[in-house]
Amino acid sequence: MTSGSESGTKPGRGLIGLLLVIVPVALFAWMTVWPILSGITRALSPEQPDGTRALSISNFAEFFSDPYSLANLGVTLWTCLVTLGLLLVICVPLALYLRFAQGKLATYVQTMAMFPMFVPSIILAFAFIRVLGPNGSVDLLLNAVGLPKIRSPYLTPWGPVIGLVWDNIPLTVLILVSGLGSVTNYAIEAARDVGARPLALFWYIILPRMWTSVAVVVSFTMLGLFSAFTLPYVLGPASPEMMGPFMQRTFGDLRDPDMALTQATVTMLFCVAFGLFYVRAVARNRGK
Amino acid sequence: MSKLTIAEVSKAFSTTRAVDSFSLEVADGELVCLLGPSGSGKSTLLRMIGGFETPTSGEIRIDGEDVTRLPPERRPTGMVFQSHALWTHMNVFNNIAFGLKLRRLPAVEIRQKVEKVLDLVGLAGYGKRHVTQLSGGQQQRVALARSLVLEPKILLLDEPFASLDQHLRERLREEVRDIQQRLGITTLFVTHGQDEALALADRIVVMRDGKTEQADRPEMVYREPATPFVAGFIGSMNLVSGQVADGVFTHSAFRLQVSASPGSALLAVRPEALDIAPANAGQGMAAIHRVTDFGINAVVDLSLPDGTRLKANVPDARAWQVGQPVDLVPRAFALYRDDKILLRS
Repeated sequence: MTSGSESGTKPGRGLIGLLLVIVPVALFAWMTVWPILSGITRALSPEQPDGTRALSISNFAEFFSDPYSLANLGVTLWTCLVTLGLLLVICVPLALYLRFAQGKLATYVQTMAMFPMFVPSIILAFAFIRVLGPNGSVDLLLNAVGLPKIRSPYLTPWGPVIGLVWDNIPLTVLILVSGLGSVTNYAIEAARDVGARPLALFWYIILPRMWTSVAVVVSFTMLGLFSAFTLPYVLGPASPEMMGPFMQRTFGDLRDPDMALTQATVTMLFCVAFGLFYVRAVARNRGK
Repeated sequence: MSKLTIAEVSKAFSTTRAVDSFSLEVADGELVCLLGPSGSGKSTLLRMIGGFETPTSGEIRIDGEDVTRLPPERRPTGMVFQSHALWTHMNVFNNIAFGLKLRRLPAVEIRQKVEKVLDLVGLAGYGKRHVTQLSGGQQQRVALARSLVLEPKILLLDEPFASLDQHLRERLREEVRDIQQRLGITTLFVTHGQDEALALADRIVVMRDGKTEQADRPEMVYREPATPFVAGFIGSMNLVSGQVADGVFTHSAFRLQVSASPGSALLAVRPEALDIAPANAGQGMAAIHRVTDFGINAVVDLSLPDGTRLKANVPDARAWQVGQPVDLVPRAFALYRDDKILLRS
């Protein structure tokens, strides 16, 4: 005979579980939920001339009526979308190669694809400047063979794009290769057996199986790019600028914490949208 | 007419020769089983016929057309894989219809063909089910239907029932045989199960180290194995190595009169062809080690004085006791020398 304590839940188990999760949950509430709520509350209650605070959307009205803020939001969205597009164009073929290729070359390619993970952003930024910046290595080489200088992407919107693409390649490749792990060789062979050529194979067999990974890449990358600071700050233009440096400058240089919080809240709303996209993608995958 | 010709086909992986100068002709509508232990090259051969491996040398022809270098998508073959290899993001209908859609057939024709083949494999009405909702046997039927719907000239089955339980395997192999005979489709079936090969095949090709050991009708492979390997691989077999001298084969106390030239030889006797009798005098040729009663018959394990073990089938277990000395009387046997048949009785 099986005792209740053996077959069912032991008394006190729920309490132990609760104790185990209470520390991270409390930390999450203290360090994430509380600052968010506090920030949103403050952004929605601007300081009045008499020094008190009252509920108002005037900060948001100011943000969305300010051409410079909108340009910054625009350049951030542009950078995110272009970076994401380039990442997918570069990383999907790379992941397909790594999934299906065999031999030493694939191992070398994988090592190279992971390499940017171990390079800190600030070093990457300075390497970028030394190579692609004005009078950088490329210019010197071109000059040596009598060719004109390149139009450097440094301090243009393309600067952060190039840096962020490089920086995000490892994570993107890892997620996509992991997704491709669910595509078995037998599934590929069965499709070829019934007549599927490479394009049909990719479209009808491989892509549906890696769709969740692509959704995860989209959400993770967008979340990461919205919060990017170092590369846009060092490599990007001074005006318009991405939301990361913009918030920092509003808070530190302009000493306007309310507006910085408003900018952060707007940024967070975009991130929440991509977060929900991620949650939906994962939930759909689990439901299958 | 769909005839398959494999001529001197070899496949080498770095230093290993998986298939070695293999030749075979499969007639129209014939079902040939490739039988052999793991690593004998049977799956590699099947994959070469399907186009998933390229032969190092040799030629594969289907109805006279050389398909040796053609990719799988351009071959008139259909393959059923051991792991089903169904596309789990599609339902049953779409799994089967995928090949037809690639051929851009009209939707009505696709529907008709899919429904017909679903009916053929006993899955009528299952089209809308998701493949993950099906049992292993049903999934394998879908895989079979997916191949059959394209009406391939050659059907290739790579251990399709290996992941199924014994009962389901027996039922499915009967169904596959029925379907194959009804459609008259030329079929190659890879298996390492001898019972599966004996039950299904018009012809069995026993493979070893990438070569043919014997290619013959199932009853011939069982009753007249060409080599000691085939003798040992198909069914239960007593294999005893000994010496022939003065017309007598000798191993330990076991002696048998044979009409063979002197020298070393390997004796092969099936348990059902080995009679035992109470020893006339003394120790006898062997002693009974164990008697296992299966009801309809019994298996007697015998021990020769040097420890060699043999098996004999007897109709009734009650007549035999452990330790009892017995003489051995083979009713039918074969004698091999240098891997070749020397004598069959």
